[in-house]
Amino acid sequence: MHPGVTPLVEVDDLHVHFGRSRAVDGASLRVYPGEVLALVGESGSGKTTLIRVIQGLQTPTAGTIRLEGSRRDRSSRRAIQTIFHDPAVQMVFQDPTGALNPRQTIYEIVAEGLRIARSGGDERHKVLDALSRAGLRPPERFLPLYPHEISGGQRQRVVIAGAMVLEPRLLLADEPVASLDASIRGEILALLRRLVAETGLAILAVTHDLGLAWNIADRVAVMYLGRIVETGPAEQLLGDPQHPYTKALLSVVPETREMEQQILVGEIPDSTRIPSGCRFHPRCPLLQSGTLPSAVAERCRGADPGILPPHAVRAAACWAVTST
Amino acid sequence: MTSLAMERRRATVARVWRQFRISRQGTIGLAILGVFILLAVAAPLLADVRELNPVFARGQGNPQWGSPGDFGPLGTDHIRRSVWTQFVWGSRVSLFVGLAATVLTILIGSVVGIVSGFVGGRLDGVLMRLTEWFLVIPFLPLAIVLASVLGRSVWNIIFVIGITSWPSTARLVRAQVLTVKQRLFVDRARSLGAGGGHIVLHHVLPNVSGLILANATLAVPISILTETTLSFLGLGDPSAASWGKTLEEAFVNGAIVRNAWWYFLPAGLGILAVVLAFTLIGRTLEEIANPRLSRRR
Amino acid sequence: MSDPLLSVRNLHVTYATEAGPVPAVRGVSFAIERGGSLGLAGESGCGKSTLANALLRLLPAGAEVTGEVVLDGRNVLTLNPGGLRAVRWTAGAIVFQGALHALNPVQTVGDQIVEPMLVHQTAGSAKAAMAKAADLLGRVGLAAGLADSYPHQLSGGQRQRVLIAMALACDPLLLIADEPTTALDLMVQAQVLALLDELKRERNLTLMFITHDLSVLTYACRHLAVMYAGRIVEEGPGWEVFGAAAHPYTRGLAAAFPTIGDPASRLAPSGLGGDPPTPGKLPSGCPFQPRCPLAQEGCAAAEPELRPAGPERSAACILV
Repeated sequence: MHPGVTPLVEVDDLHVHFGRSRAVDGASLRVYPGEVLALVGESGSGKTTLIRVIQGLQTPTAGTIRLEGSRRDRSSRRAIQTIFHDPAVQMVFQDPTGALNPRQTIYEIVAEGLRIARSGGDERHKVLDALSRAGLRPPERFLPLYPHEISGGQRQRVVIAGAMVLEPRLLLADEPVASLDASIRGEILALLRRLVAETGLAILAVTHDLGLAWNIADRVAVMYLGRIVETGPAEQLLGDPQHPYTKALLSVVPETREMEQQILVGEIPDSTRIPSGCRFHPRCPLLQSGTLPSAVAERCRGADPGILPPHAVRAAACWAVTST
Repeated sequence: MTSLAMERRRATVARVWRQFRISRQGTIGLAILGVFILLAVAAPLLADVRELNPVFARGQGNPQWGSPGDFGPLGTDHIRRSVWTQFVWGSRVSLFVGLAATVLTILIGSVVGIVSGFVGGRLDGVLMRLTEWFLVIPFLPLAIVLASVLGRSVWNIIFVIGITSWPSTARLVRAQVLTVKQRLFVDRARSLGAGGGHIVLHHVLPNVSGLILANATLAVPISILTETTLSFLGLGDPSAASWGKTLEEAFVNGAIVRNAWWYFLPAGLGILAVVLAFTLIGRTLEEIANPRLSRRR
Repeated sequence: MSDPLLSVRNLHVTYATEAGPVPAVRGVSFAIERGGSLGLAGESGCGKSTLANALLRLLPAGAEVTGEVVLDGRNVLTLNPGGLRAVRWTAGAIVFQGALHALNPVQTVGDQIVEPMLVHQTAGSAKAAMAKAADLLGRVGLAAGLADSYPHQLSGGQRQRVLIAMALACDPLLLIADEPTTALDLMVQAQVLALLDELKRERNLTLMFITHDLSVLTYACRHLAVMYAGRIVEEGPGWEVFGAAAHPYTRGLAAAFPTIGDPASRLAPSGLGGDPPTPGKLPSGCPFQPRCPLAQEGCAAAEPELRPAGPERSAACILV
């Protein structure tokens, strides 16, 4: 899909363990310039932990992350001790109200990144430009205001402006519209796509909302219990899912009508007790249907399908899929 | 700070002042405090400091144990010194020591609380054990030991109070810092590349300063009372007049037995009034900062 | 319809605030037949939660409620305290959003399910109540042994099921579900919706489902009503309202839930500009008019009433 292009982010075999809890249990992925990758999963899938590691807010237990070619092996002690920060990677948060310091004016909030990075130039001009590009017009009106004086949607635009003012190459969006009123979500999502078109930005968006992936994502990666279980171009993955978990998720999204509902039993297991073999096998409708040949079923129960190769255009960590 | 930000800060201060003026308890507290500050500042104009010297007082021909009817507004004590002069000049020491000791307490307590809460880890553990050590040691024996070791002077009293009062401030501040540290905007600052210094200065401090201020206004009366206690126990500066010292001398020299109420009542009421004033001001500030508290009334 | 279980007529709810009276619900009327289901969709500030609480008079003291709420033949708004207690939980019960603060953190889950039974004396003895609680837990898909757990020991999905069990404790006729699946994962949400559907059929419950998630309603309810700025602006059969909305707001809201596989929404997110209005600061005329892509001359002049927009459908828009 991206031959010869250097990926912006290369994550290889990432592990993040909190004591006995394996939040991210071996994940590899690539994000390429100018694309929107949606990382989809339920709570407990490890998706938020994964992007926090990429942003530098969480130190990993093992694995490597490469940003634009340079290598940062952040499992070493020294790497953990230095503050990892690359202004080319910025983050948009789920809760725009919580993400803004209530005692700072909008101007200070947006200018903060510039001041920390000690970038020269006309600060006021850059702030006005960022606010304007984020859809807050006229930008001057917003400068002296405090977060509680603007609406939720406007707050999220301020967060986006604060990130864009540093001209990032990659934007990590953690459930960017989940806390916003439904009717205004489309505008914020349209803004994100516009920024991609205008600046060549790449976006890695974490979400539980498959509709959002349909709306803005070029590629989708599905996470379950710390692993990426399926990846592929959005239309293909959402139109013709291969992994049984992805199929089940799509079937229960109220907006998809063509599929018969497959409601899984139980909830995602605790990350301290990851099932043996394929971690999805205890809840897998395909396995439970009894239609799999016994050799495959054996592997489902006993053998770990492993980590998906990050270069593959379309892949699913499922014995039933790889055995055909 | 940009001019925009300064304007907003000014508006906030103006708003707080307005709310303060509306509050009855706040105005009363401020008025009482104002009276005593005026008293302390205008001391040289209101009473001759030489009157504190018993030799001078004798030379003036003051009566012994003169009641307010016989001499001056508040009579005289056992060595013929004007009680009014002691009251007025004593207010200086009590207020000064109270404020200075509080500044020391808040300074040490805040720094320890912020460092401990923000840095965490082993440093937090060590600082907290130190804090607990100071908390656990009974105050009075420690104060007595320190006072006797360091000698009896106003500055030493300030030091003693500061050294023994900072732990509770430290714990309060640390708890608040821990809460602020978890807030999402701190994560955001980190993701923008902020180091610890920037986060403490721009995010932790502004969200902790309200608590520190409220704590300070309530710590002043405690410091004043502590000074009074130490002076009453004879650990105060022998050369400085303070309300605590007045109470001690009154007690030791039998003013109660003699019914010489003019000797101990003014100092006692003075302390009461100043403590009340700070408490009212502190409560009003808390209510302004947290409007939910006032709505309960 | 003949003999609806719940009939609401011209309901108004106004809060008394420091800034003056704020109308949160401004003349809402609807009816739900016995065994039927109604979904109420709306965003923040539209008044839907106020409406839900008003039905059982659960609003705080400063709220002024006028109109008529007839539940199983009795006007809830005019009942005396004794009559009101008799109605609450036994005729109509609410399932709240299962966030941690909907349950008492220091009481076991079993005790909390038993509590309404004891208050309303519907179970006979305490022992019978506990047996029924265990039975209810099983009915909502939880192990009976969980009765001795505390809320913080349960997952979000489990807590939501407990709240459903609690609501069913006194065998109500009407179940009002206020954002019951909002904080839940996709799969757990599907489980809870399936559970509500099963229980509804089993006990012939009448269901009122309130949420901002329009797509969930089309699955869970036969009829749909959309609220905006304290009023119902569209109502009709679920699928029709969602798929081919008559009111521009409903269309804007529905766009937030794109159909996966629909090329029209592929890489084309669409939504409404502006923000939902704050109660008490409504624009003149039609409250949606500042954000409406089809706003015209007459829209700011007067607020449109609900007018027919097809069989069993109505919308409050002059373009209908």
